[in-house]
Amino acid sequence: MRRTILVTGGTGTLGRELVRRLRQDPDAPRVLVLARTATITDAGASVVRGDLLARPRLGIDPASYDELRREVTHVVHCAAATRFTLPLEEARSVNVAGTRAVLELAAECRRLQGIACFSTVYVSGRRTGVFAESDCGDAGAGFVNSYEQSKAEMEELVRGAISQLPIVLFRLSTIIGDSRTGTVTGFNALHQALRLLYQGLVPMMPGEATTEIDLIPLDFAADASHALLRCMGQGVEAGHVYHLCAGHARSTAVGTLLDATMSAFTRHRPAWRRRTVERPAFADARTYELFVRSVEEAGNEVLLGATRAVQAMAWQLAYPKTFDDRRAAAMLDPLGIRAPAVLDYYPEIVRYCVETNWGTTA
Amino acid sequence: MRAGERPAGVGIDHIAYRLPPATQTLAELHSSGLLKSSPELLSGFGFDLVHVAGEERHVDLAIGAARTLLCEAAIDPSAIDLVLFASGLSSSSMMGCEPAGAGAFIEVRDVMDLFRYPASYLQHELGLDRAAVAGVDQQGCASLLSAIRLARAMIVAEEGIDTVLCVGADRLPAGASREQIYNVISDGAGAALVRRNTPRNRILAARQITKGALWEPGSIEHEIIAAYFPTARTLILETLEQAGLTIDDIAWILPHNVSLRSWEILLGLLGAPREKLFDRNIARVGHTIAADNIINLRDATDAGLVKPGDRIMLFTFGYGLNWSCMILEH
Repeated sequence: MRRTILVTGGTGTLGRELVRRLRQDPDAPRVLVLARTATITDAGASVVRGDLLARPRLGIDPASYDELRREVTHVVHCAAATRFTLPLEEARSVNVAGTRAVLELAAECRRLQGIACFSTVYVSGRRTGVFAESDCGDAGAGFVNSYEQSKAEMEELVRGAISQLPIVLFRLSTIIGDSRTGTVTGFNALHQALRLLYQGLVPMMPGEATTEIDLIPLDFAADASHALLRCMGQGVEAGHVYHLCAGHARSTAVGTLLDATMSAFTRHRPAWRRRTVERPAFADARTYELFVRSVEEAGNEVLLGATRAVQAMAWQLAYPKTFDDRRAAAMLDPLGIRAPAVLDYYPEIVRYCVETNWGTTA
Repeated sequence: MRAGERPAGVGIDHIAYRLPPATQTLAELHSSGLLKSSPELLSGFGFDLVHVAGEERHVDLAIGAARTLLCEAAIDPSAIDLVLFASGLSSSSMMGCEPAGAGAFIEVRDVMDLFRYPASYLQHELGLDRAAVAGVDQQGCASLLSAIRLARAMIVAEEGIDTVLCVGADRLPAGASREQIYNVISDGAGAALVRRNTPRNRILAARQITKGALWEPGSIEHEIIAAYFPTARTLILETLEQAGLTIDDIAWILPHNVSLRSWEILLGLLGAPREKLFDRNIARVGHTIAADNIINLRDATDAGLVKPGDRIMLFTFGYGLNWSCMILEH
């Protein structure tokens, strides 16, 4: 039976790569992308006009909606509000309510075989220690930003539907670019922090230099999620969670990453060295909180904007954790799919950021 | 050296300072339009009063501080080998040309005004006839600490230079804002006698970092604040390492009197307890450009807080940008 795959977020950073791979599958599945505009995506997939925020039927016209109910065999739900600084309700409207609407559609698909929902390893919030694929949410520890919280709430929603629907959850680590070329197609909070660091606007970060930071390249995220999708029902089982992350062995200490960042800045922009930007200091949570509060009170607009942008991500560093990916690795290792060690490709990512001025001259 | 006797070296033998008697509250400064931030914010950052010079010129403040020092130390003026006059404000390295015309802080009426130097004036007024003089400037609030560091270097380098009088004095031009990057500025002067073979306040280490890339302060307040904390931490740790000490070995941190909040943050980055900070002068003295560390050393000593053998750390930061740190053994 030919697969018909509906992809949400198919024009996003990961979704686009995933669609490209799905369209090259030997069984030539029909790939449909839910999108607000256009009729065909740059990855060559057909577009179903709709919007995660629209109701009823995700804003899809009735005829197309009926067709989806008849034809769709798989739903790949990548769409998400990923900005860390969104108000919680805004993040929820996409990540929770939007997911609910997608699951409602999936529940009506007569030929449905599987649903893949993309989440984040940071549903773990402020938890510390090892976070396993079998673990759920923050366990009462709280969250660093609205993205984490809304995604954890999305997972609760998904878990509630697992008894009725064949859902798998893919929890992604932070995607930073292509490991082969350094290209960044989706600039996120980490790239923004790099830019502020380049501009000398990051005086400190919470946590310790030895805190591990887990990052993955886009090509790994796309290859791994594509491979797991192909294994759905054949080892990748409904109701399971899979961590697509670097894991302890291929992560690095944030202090080492900062050193690599500053070396790369200097290497690719020798004039930057003359700005003598100091490496950010590491602060305990109380000190960092005091700094953030002081910046808020003082009201310097530039520093305030920079500090808000950094802290939305950086607070995670105050809650050291590693992500256990043994379930995903059991599937991916035999296929030769494994995240590269961060430091093996990270300098190229920084190079790309510097040389394109964070995408503005790419 | 006899048992119990402490080793002699180059140290700060005597200290004195001069603050103009007139003070103004934050509310008064605010009502005069001399603050950029609200009094509430600055109060929350630890400030209360500042000292404001009336008729006294900065050189008058300098002479006041130096004369007190010479008197208290019972030093024969002819014993001074070198005078280093430190100025944080560029205007302080001149004799002063006030009152300036409308909208101007300094008015140069004659090119010869540019050749009238406070250091020579000080030498003459104090009768330091045998002393050579030099100016130390262009380091903002780090100027006086830098002068002390240079004094030590001169004593070490040259036989015949045993006693150096370092004097720093600044007063803001009339009508100038009293706030710089959330710090409230006082007028004042500090004097330090740096001597060879003194067991008092032996200088164990002194370091400075200059970041000339940030030389133009007018439009980069955000970059200055961002650079301040990690560079301060780096410099302090380097200075401690030079002295063979850790932050735990320091009994007192004698600050530049910038916002208490910024000190709390810096202490956090250093892992130093709040109790080690001599902070009482932030509220009652304010930030005197370059004399804070000296004022605080004197007051902490007079209060009996600093005990013989205590290691004390002086840290300051000035435009330029300059970070300066010195570790003494009291």
